[in-house]
Amino acid sequence: MTTFEHCVRCTLCVENCPVFKVNPAFPGPKQAGPDAQRFRLDGERSVDDWVRLCSQCQRCQVACPYGVNVSEIILKAQLKYSHEHMSPFAAHLFANTYHLGKLGSLAAPITNAVTSSAATRKIMGVLGLATNLPMPKYRFFSLNRGRRRKGRRRASRKVVFFHGCYLGFNRPDIGRGIRDLLAGLGCRVVIPGQTCCGLPALGNGDLEIAKRFARKNARMLVEYIDRGYRVVYACTSCGLTLVHDYPEVLELPEGRKIAENTYNVHELILDLLENDAPDVEFGEVDRTAAYHIPCHLKALGIGYPAAGIFEKIPGLKIAILDDNCCGLAGSYGFKKKNQQTAEKLGTISAFAIKTLEPDALISDCGACRMQLGHYTGLPVLDPSEVIIASLEKGASKESRGKRRIP
Amino acid sequence: MSAYEYDAVVIGGGVSGIMASLTLASEGFKTALVSRGDPVCCLSTGCIDVFSHSDKPLGGIRALLPDHPYSLVGEKGIVDALCFFLEIMNEAGLPYEGDPGRNRKILTPIGSVKNTCLVPQSMAHADMPPGEYFHVISFQGIKDFFPSYLTSRHRNSTYSVYDAGVPTTLGIAARFDDATFLDAFITWLRGLEIPHDRVALPAVLGTIDPASAMEKISRAVGRKVFEIPTLPPSVPGLRLFRALKRVMQNRGIHLYWGKEVTSVERQGHTIEAVTLATTGRAKRVQGRAFVLATGSFVSGGLFAGRDSVRETVFDLPVAVPGERKDWFNTDFFSAGHSIERAGVRVDRSFRPAGAKIDNLFACGSILAECEIMSFQCGHGLAVATGVAAAKSCAQGLS
Repeated sequence: MTTFEHCVRCTLCVENCPVFKVNPAFPGPKQAGPDAQRFRLDGERSVDDWVRLCSQCQRCQVACPYGVNVSEIILKAQLKYSHEHMSPFAAHLFANTYHLGKLGSLAAPITNAVTSSAATRKIMGVLGLATNLPMPKYRFFSLNRGRRRKGRRRASRKVVFFHGCYLGFNRPDIGRGIRDLLAGLGCRVVIPGQTCCGLPALGNGDLEIAKRFARKNARMLVEYIDRGYRVVYACTSCGLTLVHDYPEVLELPEGRKIAENTYNVHELILDLLENDAPDVEFGEVDRTAAYHIPCHLKALGIGYPAAGIFEKIPGLKIAILDDNCCGLAGSYGFKKKNQQTAEKLGTISAFAIKTLEPDALISDCGACRMQLGHYTGLPVLDPSEVIIASLEKGASKESRGKRRIP
Repeated sequence: MSAYEYDAVVIGGGVSGIMASLTLASEGFKTALVSRGDPVCCLSTGCIDVFSHSDKPLGGIRALLPDHPYSLVGEKGIVDALCFFLEIMNEAGLPYEGDPGRNRKILTPIGSVKNTCLVPQSMAHADMPPGEYFHVISFQGIKDFFPSYLTSRHRNSTYSVYDAGVPTTLGIAARFDDATFLDAFITWLRGLEIPHDRVALPAVLGTIDPASAMEKISRAVGRKVFEIPTLPPSVPGLRLFRALKRVMQNRGIHLYWGKEVTSVERQGHTIEAVTLATTGRAKRVQGRAFVLATGSFVSGGLFAGRDSVRETVFDLPVAVPGERKDWFNTDFFSAGHSIERAGVRVDRSFRPAGAKIDNLFACGSILAECEIMSFQCGHGLAVATGVAAAKSCAQGLS
């Protein structure tokens, strides 16, 4: 394991830091991470208020060729700072996005009307929330309502779907699509009752709330794992929290076990296509799309599995973009103090996307889609939506005797 | 989970690894590239030094000892590889120019001149005839760029300073991507009424493509404009890396980034797979052939212990020049510490000598006897051996 002492100050992390690029108040990952770490003492009160300007995109850690855990050092410094100082109201609010989502979807039409009204947005501004982006819309028919199990009970592949808050409360349609797709490829799929992964709480400096969420999920997931299930995630930030933060930051005893049994949904689909269902036919999709890689998919280090599936889809032209952070970084960009940073980064990413003149934007992350949909004006899609659309077209050619995907 | 099998797996994301994977992909092989982080190329000037120790790169290479890796590629191979690089950069939208027969001069931030072979178009006008006047533009608070250094060394030069609102090279470069910022800068620049022949700026003219900003500036002031590479973090180095990465992704090469290779599966004389230290659960990457391009000491391809040098992925035999006491000169700044010659020896097909592995090829600065610091040939050697090793690998595959 390498630590801050292995940093050779090469500045590769700085070259990759989106916040440093647009906000001079943030000294960059090298100084905020390994450099400052030399002066941080457990018993001493933190004074580095700028440490909270880091958005935890983790690009620094991916870039570091020496394996220094740059963003983890910064995260721990953020948690220490927040523990010792008063957190702003917005931080408390966003640490609890799960509860907001739960309430929001219960009262969906009212919530959506209220959050989009001019008066509410004024109040939000006063409370330290950014008001440039529209708030995500909640759906009453959330993923924890409706069918929670699908696929043959005796199927050899059993998966438990950790969908996270965004698919759960805001885009349950995508979640159901993934459930049906996996079942169609021969899996037994379970959508268990689950809470927030804990990342918003970590990002907003509340270790205790994060632990509370994580422990609940961990108990539930381990029960499934012990019964031969694999955990599958679609949201790359939830995924990174499960495989990295559960064992390393939150130090859960079950963390290792969960990390070893957790898969990205496209990693699993690619495997199913290679091994279980090689005769599946993809229909033509006439699209030229930009595929924006979320920072946390990069940080997972598993490559870009959805891109491997896109290669199989005839007619689909994809340009991969993985050099820019969208700037929203979950709840980061929804806070007033980060609004400018998020706006600038959103504009930079949108510029790079628009030069390619795509007809749609694909991204694995709901927050990236929200932000970049806003700044590019393009239709935004989850990779699974593209895959499902292609398979539905392929399935309609059933007369050729190929396997059918529901 | 069983892994997908690639035709070729390249280990190392620097210039040599990237050029190797592009060569393999262009011959139709399904290629993956794994890298444990961003390459040192991001910190470089972005120029391709082929052999900067003399004015004529190919002439200098001819005079090298026969065990230098360049001699395995041959003159034609080197020129072909550099042409392939130029083609790739055109495709990437970051055109380079230069001639392998002749080095050109670029200006450095301390006012010295440096030999190099291929340069991005933004540095094309840096090679000035003696006696030409130039005006340097610097930016308020910018680190490690002192225009008075430049002007003290060049009597025919002057400078002015612009306030970009941010002091860092990356920050300023990001601002130049924005058309309104560029227009404001141009208005200011016109106001200076520069009488000189050329205008020089630190390399901050945009993060992706400096060409359009340069052309706009050049047209507005009616002068030739060029960039001066800066100390790291280096914008032209980052542009080079990202442009190459874009082409790799366009050509369907799969990238596995940010995780190192922790173990290797070997069956007799064949490498079957490597395992990456992916977060949570290791990832196995399977291939029919492997290319090793992990670089030298600074990139972690080689590791020096007290008395020995180790190759870090396959534990290949490493040629080391003598004992530790012979590795370094007493004068640090003198050219040529003999430790630079340490590395992996390869046969004519770029297979590591003495390793008894049939499907492994090595390229770049991990090769023994390359002495890239003494000869100043880092990126040129990376391009030439990257392409050559990949061609040999392609032959082995088919």
